[in-house]
Amino acid sequence: MVVVRSFVAAGAATADVLADLDRNLTEAGLSPHFAYLFYGQVHDDRTLEDWLSRRLPDTAVIGGTTCGGMMSDQQLWGADSIGLLVIEDEAGDYGVAARELGADAAASAEQALRDALEAAGCPGELPELIWIYQAPGREEEVIEGLRRVVGDNCPIIGGSAADEAIAGQWREISSAGTMSDGLVVAALFPSGGVGYAFQGGYEPTGASGIVTRVGFQPSGGEGVVTSSRGRQILTIDNEPAAEVYNRWIGGLLDGKLAAGGNILADTTMTPLGIDTAQTNGVPHYLLVHPETVTAGGGLTTFATVEEGTRLFSMRGDRQRLVDRAGRVAARASANLAGGQASLAGGLMVYCAGCKMAVGEEMPEVAAEVSRNFDGRPFLGCFTFGEQGNVLDRNLHGNLMISALAFGA
Amino acid sequence: MPDTEELRESLLEMSHEAESLRGENTQLRLLLDSLQALLTCDPGDDPFAAIFASLRSVFRYSEILVLTEDENCPEHLTVIAAEPAGLAATIWETGDLLRKVLAGRVTASVYNEGAETAPEGEEARLGASQPALYLPMRVGDRRGLLVLLRPAGGEGFDRGHVALARRFSLLASAAFAARHAREQEKESADLRQLTERLRVSERELAYRANFDPLTGLPNRTLIEEKVGEAIDRLQPGGRLALAFIDLDKFKQVNDFYNHSVGDALLVAVAARIQQNIRGTDVLARISGDEFVLLLTPYENLGQAQSVIDRIIDHLKKPFYIEGLELFTSASTGVSIHPDHGQDYEALRRTADLAMYRAKSHTKGSAVYFDQSVGDASAARMGLEQKLRAALRDGRFRCAFQPKFDIRRGRVLGFEALVRWIDEDDQVRAPGDFIDVAAELGLLNGITRIVLAASNEAFAILDPLFGPDTRISINIGAKQASDRRFMAELIEEIVATGQASRFMLEITEETVVEPDPFQTEILPELRRRGIGISIDDFGTGYSSFSVLTDITADELKVDRAFITAIDQRPRSQGILKAMESLARALGMAIVAEGAETEAEMAYLREHSSIGLVQGYYFAKPMMAADLVAYWRQRWPDLTGEQWGLPARGRVALRTAL
Repeated sequence: MVVVRSFVAAGAATADVLADLDRNLTEAGLSPHFAYLFYGQVHDDRTLEDWLSRRLPDTAVIGGTTCGGMMSDQQLWGADSIGLLVIEDEAGDYGVAARELGADAAASAEQALRDALEAAGCPGELPELIWIYQAPGREEEVIEGLRRVVGDNCPIIGGSAADEAIAGQWREISSAGTMSDGLVVAALFPSGGVGYAFQGGYEPTGASGIVTRVGFQPSGGEGVVTSSRGRQILTIDNEPAAEVYNRWIGGLLDGKLAAGGNILADTTMTPLGIDTAQTNGVPHYLLVHPETVTAGGGLTTFATVEEGTRLFSMRGDRQRLVDRAGRVAARASANLAGGQASLAGGLMVYCAGCKMAVGEEMPEVAAEVSRNFDGRPFLGCFTFGEQGNVLDRNLHGNLMISALAFGA
Repeated sequence: MPDTEELRESLLEMSHEAESLRGENTQLRLLLDSLQALLTCDPGDDPFAAIFASLRSVFRYSEILVLTEDENCPEHLTVIAAEPAGLAATIWETGDLLRKVLAGRVTASVYNEGAETAPEGEEARLGASQPALYLPMRVGDRRGLLVLLRPAGGEGFDRGHVALARRFSLLASAAFAARHAREQEKESADLRQLTERLRVSERELAYRANFDPLTGLPNRTLIEEKVGEAIDRLQPGGRLALAFIDLDKFKQVNDFYNHSVGDALLVAVAARIQQNIRGTDVLARISGDEFVLLLTPYENLGQAQSVIDRIIDHLKKPFYIEGLELFTSASTGVSIHPDHGQDYEALRRTADLAMYRAKSHTKGSAVYFDQSVGDASAARMGLEQKLRAALRDGRFRCAFQPKFDIRRGRVLGFEALVRWIDEDDQVRAPGDFIDVAAELGLLNGITRIVLAASNEAFAILDPLFGPDTRISINIGAKQASDRRFMAELIEEIVATGQASRFMLEITEETVVEPDPFQTEILPELRRRGIGISIDDFGTGYSSFSVLTDITADELKVDRAFITAIDQRPRSQGILKAMESLARALGMAIVAEGAETEAEMAYLREHSSIGLVQGYYFAKPMMAADLVAYWRQRWPDLTGEQWGLPARGRVALRTAL
């Protein structure tokens, strides 16, 4: 029997908020085996760590900071909130491990997964699902490391920790403490099974081009350099990337081409897309969010792109981002072996960029998810990158929405 | 035509469903084969040979072992059967992992170091990176387990394999228990019964995978196979035709009656099409109200046309369902192999495009694919892109057409009519784009632009027409029933601070839908003081009795009744009936489309209608243009007159 509950409280003083959560947790009378913990960057790490070790000493905990609050089955919460999604599952196994990303993020991820399996009491076993929360920037390396252990034989889902102003204030948390450039991995063997879904809410506009040059990407402490893949697109179809992209999106960046600078907010509705897989000839797109225009007319992005990749101009709208959240939740529930009726609760990862685009309609997103989760408990965080499984491939993308449903 | 997002989602769901069906089928076959082998083999035979064969085909293992607990030494497990046979009789230590498996867990391993699973003295058999799948299996009265191994470094087992193994494990254990107790007739009988049930279920699954359960026709999967086979059988230069048949307005049948009537109609339609095709043709239902017909052999276009014409004609005849007389029709598109497509998917797509052309131009007709259909489709795709860009770039404007009170001689309101300024700066009327915008889900955004433009227009219109006029905004039936959109729209209207100056023009189609418009949205509109107008009255589905359920402010008589009304006694009679109705229900009545002096004279002298909207007074124009036009064309009918009722009215009546 799997019981899922969500608890969220808000306030300026971390200790007070935790006292509220403590009270709610006690009233619920649960002994959680696994928990997600998300919080705003304003909260004090040490107070949180102390509380976790005192209040949930035997619970595998994973989470970190989220951008601008979180959502739950009750409402949308502000940036000063702390939320818990707890899972009581006597017959399941859960293990969490944390590591600094370090010089070799892939190796760190591989070792963290092995440690998480060990912590779950299942060394060497293929988990039902791997859930990760990490510092943004090196997501592809982390997935590569995890895939060394499990391949694409089980889904890898998660998010990249976020702060309020993309200022490096994000943290990742586990029972072992907090980190700012680390990775937390959970290996899940829930007894009620899981359903999941990972989708974007954007459509191609028709324009596309081939990445003809990417910037040199130093990788790791030894400065390994590769010129064939990276997060800086220099040219598309042999023209400066920013110029081509600006043309695709109707001159939205006219004022920024010369001076360069951050374009995250300008491009939330017009990201780039990569055709990752096809179902019956219909492409499935993974989204790439352009971050800045560089001095040389290139684009930096929130996901890695390879030379030779065809990039598509994508477009979203607010309503689609609202509706899509509900549909992703519904799809995850429907994917449970026992169907929607067996749903105990769920977890959402919603891109902070999408949140910014949806703006004041975000309460509607929370309501839509709640409706599609049949009012069952859920918690949702807002991230700077999303990891998920598309047609049996584990990938990192931007501006994506993922949902995880726990079976009862 | 669905947009690509919906198409992608549908495909994913269909693929997922097909995958599940295939998976279930495979599982059942596997279980059945294994059960059958256990039940039928003699006591002296090796019961594992058939099980291994079944498992090999599904799990593609390189080695397999069956281990059972050793009575004398519970810390060890003995291999009682294996492939290769050399592994048999080895002893394995019962570590944590094997203990969990014995307790009922099915699991796969991704690496084995530290897993304590290696057999004593046989470590080389289970390498550190050799993928393994473990499943519990009771062998007779002993606890045991199966271990399936794949080559080191090879592809591992995935979560799908674990789920499949879970089901197999349960049944295999039951089969061994029954075999163990095969002397007990009851258990054997139960098992045979179970086997038979599974066989029935396998047949049902196979049926479901290939046939539509409602009509019994081949489904999407099977017709694709059939078309592929028919293409393969064609002689060089041979042809075949594929028809895409889509019922017109089928949704309304479901909406107005219920789904059982809709389903019965689909069954009847399927039967009627079947009666009108040749024995060699194949009809399939591929979704809701969509049928695909494979026409083979194909001699020439005339031959195909005669079959299609026969179907279309017969579908137009009435259907009698649950005591109702229903009329329907089907729009049909036809494509020819190899001219319009090399395979099923290409043929279906081109036939679909042709069907879409038929539906857009003349419902209930057939269109045969040719280059012009392809070009039209490309043009439509272009239109879609341009509309999305127009919404993004704010290229929609609003024109206003006045509603004039011919009794009091003043403008009482305006209908707001959207205009699209295309990329060549041409002004496009709603007829050019509104249907496509609705299909693309852009209508809500456009309506919001119209509201904002209308609110701004008051500042231009009020100085001339006075501060009491109202602006009407058109709302589509689908929009009117969208709770969330309507709630937001109402809030936006209220936020203008002059909700009572707005009126929503809804269609008859909206009025006949009781939920949620009548029960939830209409009361809210009334509460907020927003007016309701029923547009194009007389052309839709409403009956007078439905109108009594709705409290509207205004009834707009469609232009079809006003055009040349002075010469058409029948229209005159209908208009009188509408007047009586509106009077009885306390609604104002607006005559739309008045253009000529003669029409105006009739309305003025032979009807009690007060409000008139039409080219006679003004075409729809941008607010500033309308003000300038009005000052020049109707200098006496300006706001200044409203304050002088006696003198003004006399003068104006004379003028009219």
